[in-house]
Amino acid sequence: MFVGPRMKRDLVTVTPGATLEEASRLLKAHRIHHLPVVEEGNRLAGIVTDTDLRNATLDGAIGGGDRGDSGRPVTVGEIMTRDLVTLSPGDTLDDAMLVLSRQRIGALPVVEGDRLVGIVTKADILSALLTTLDIAGIGARIEVVLRRNVKEVARLVAALADQDVEVRSLVLALHGADGYAVFLRVATIDVASVRDRLREKGFCVGELSDFYEAG
Amino acid sequence: MAVDTTRVEGVGDPLPERDILEGFDRLIAADRLFGAELNPSIIKKSGKGAPFLVRRHPSHHRMLALWRDLFANRIPPQGLLDALAPEVLGFSHGDGLLLFGKDRVLYDCRIVRGNETVGHLTLCFYREREPVFRFLPFPRRPGRRIVFIEGISLSAQSTGYASSLFRHYERFFHGLGFHRFRVKASLSVGKYYWAKEGFDCEDRVQFREMREKLQDLVRRFDLPVEEQEIRRLTHAGDVAAFRRDLKIPVYRNPEGYYATARDGSHREEILFPLGKAFLLCSEPWDGYKVIYTNTPRRTGFVWSEAFLDHGVRPGHPESPKRLEALSEAIREEGMRESLIFLEPYLPAMESLHAVHDPAYLEAFREAVARGDRHFAAQDCAISGGSYKAALLAAGGVMAGIDAVLSGRSDNVFCAVRPPGHHAGRNSAMGFCFVNNVAAGAQYARSAHGVRRIYILDWDVHHGNGTQALFEEDPLTFFCSLHEHPSFCYPGTGRRLEKGKGSGLGATLNVPLAPHAGDRELLEAFEREVVPSIEAFRPELILLSAGFDAHRDDPIAELECTEDAYVHMTRRVLELADRHCEGRVVSVLEGGYRTESLVSSAIAHIKTLQGREGSPCSSARG
Repeated sequence: MFVGPRMKRDLVTVTPGATLEEASRLLKAHRIHHLPVVEEGNRLAGIVTDTDLRNATLDGAIGGGDRGDSGRPVTVGEIMTRDLVTLSPGDTLDDAMLVLSRQRIGALPVVEGDRLVGIVTKADILSALLTTLDIAGIGARIEVVLRRNVKEVARLVAALADQDVEVRSLVLALHGADGYAVFLRVATIDVASVRDRLREKGFCVGELSDFYEAG
Repeated sequence: MAVDTTRVEGVGDPLPERDILEGFDRLIAADRLFGAELNPSIIKKSGKGAPFLVRRHPSHHRMLALWRDLFANRIPPQGLLDALAPEVLGFSHGDGLLLFGKDRVLYDCRIVRGNETVGHLTLCFYREREPVFRFLPFPRRPGRRIVFIEGISLSAQSTGYASSLFRHYERFFHGLGFHRFRVKASLSVGKYYWAKEGFDCEDRVQFREMREKLQDLVRRFDLPVEEQEIRRLTHAGDVAAFRRDLKIPVYRNPEGYYATARDGSHREEILFPLGKAFLLCSEPWDGYKVIYTNTPRRTGFVWSEAFLDHGVRPGHPESPKRLEALSEAIREEGMRESLIFLEPYLPAMESLHAVHDPAYLEAFREAVARGDRHFAAQDCAISGGSYKAALLAAGGVMAGIDAVLSGRSDNVFCAVRPPGHHAGRNSAMGFCFVNNVAAGAQYARSAHGVRRIYILDWDVHHGNGTQALFEEDPLTFFCSLHEHPSFCYPGTGRRLEKGKGSGLGATLNVPLAPHAGDRELLEAFEREVVPSIEAFRPELILLSAGFDAHRDDPIAELECTEDAYVHMTRRVLELADRHCEGRVVSVLEGGYRTESLVSSAIAHIKTLQGREGSPCSSARG
């Protein structure tokens, strides 16, 4: 839920004085796209991305590869983004998702004061989502549509408890004007029986065909 | 053994009944056709004159009915006599007679070399009758056609005559459509001889006792033989050839019988290889040899009642009824005659440790022994017989692999349960406890030296257990066709799972969208699976054959039919013919609606036998 436990702490960083070539080599070696730029004392100065590097070389602003007009190597400090959106470990993953989505960026440095402590990328958010929904784990999905009434949710949970079925994840979402859609992941091979028994109790269990054609 | 029937001399299309009747009359006139006592046990082997209680032949009508039933009128009476008496290695038959009993035809002759009688042979042709309902003695219907070697004696031994004669007979009886050869191995030499000729012990209880006695013998001599080597023996022929490298002394008496200990009459000490020595000293046994499976390919069928002892709670889909229904259908379809029944054995724990951790198997054993209702997951219901059934299921696949690699059968269907393809090194799930196919693959490697193994899993669920066990192994190709993991248990088996490390590329997952039918399945099969088999060039193909992708199966949403299974089976056989001499071992996984499971499995087995749809060009014997 909080950024702290989910962020990456083992960081690859550069200093503002590093050359573009050095930065590019780091990105390739670690198969990453974002390099926080830190000054002495791990103070966050900016961030440089693979796109920044590519643009800097393509723009032609730099003649002869990564050499500026003066003929000296261009440094990371000259092309990095300084105007940063950052998070603190106490912010939530919701914050992170909203910022990543609205700012259309790929990664957010996490700072305590002005000290860099971690980074959260889109990939981290995706893997958090995968874990939460248990998509990589053993199980099968069931979709149920309910009237928008929490008592109905309670009734569904009770019906699942009756069947002694192992629920791996359960997501409740608004559906239409007055409904809930429930996305359940259960760890049983006999999903068909679970569906049948829910139907017997009057639940509207989505047919995969509805789902498939809609998608 | 699939001999081209049209090439067997004297056997052709059915003859007009008129010709058969004329043939009877000619033999009667020549004093070569008689009736015999109704009860064949009255056959007298001693006394002067005819060795039988011979009487007038039965009515022509009855003889004709018998001829039709046994020989389908495909050979005239004189033709049969001629074919039974070939001149081999200077031996021939004299005084060959045909004798008609109530339900059987006997052939009796002297064996002659030059002018000298050197032996005697009696064959008996009859047809088994099987009860229509398993537990009622009547009504009965015609079953397997059998040739019984009622008696053979030869004063001259080791001439190779008997061997040559029986090879000729096998070919000839095969052409005539007889299913089995039977023999009573009572003479001392015979007990070893018949086993060596491929005859197996008819009574399985007796065979198991034989194995125990062999174990005792090994203990007595303190021989370096592991228990598992003996447990693996499933055929008298295996016993005959067992551990030729170890010799033990046996003692011969003046009549030519052997014993393992010296006593008053058994005095002459001879050293023989272990298996031979053991058989020479064994009790008499009734032997049989499958000579014909009325199908182009000889398909083995692994089955044990013990698979039914894995009980589950009521309403559980993976119920013993699945196999009961399949075995019943095999009987009703009259397929018992055409299948070679193979018995599973309890595998050595070491061979299971190749795929499961010892602690995991032990926890499973303990859960069963404690009387738990399930193990590891709610899905995995257990009962008192579950542990043994699961071990036997893996041992069944091993027995199937033994049969295919020894050439005893061309391919095998293992009707086992519980299924196995979800079971991982330390995990039971999705009704699976022991990964039968994976254990079989490892066994094929360790016991038979097979290197490249292709596992095709067409169960509707992804074979996650098998995949996990082999994903780093470049020599075991795992391919699974299944309903897409976003819609179906166990939620694994996405396209991007292609193997790991050095096994990268030796895993192929082909997920199918819900509601895909035969067309989509077979397109994917032809487009992706077939080329991957071609490219991999396997030495053995294992099938994880679940039949739950059938449209009537409640557990998932694919909508295939029997046709898809027939097509895939036929193609797999063709590829197996090309790459690995047709070696395919198919192992039952899922399939939870009894009717569709049975009809699909039967269609699959018939195709394995080479008799569904167009004939397989490369069927071999």
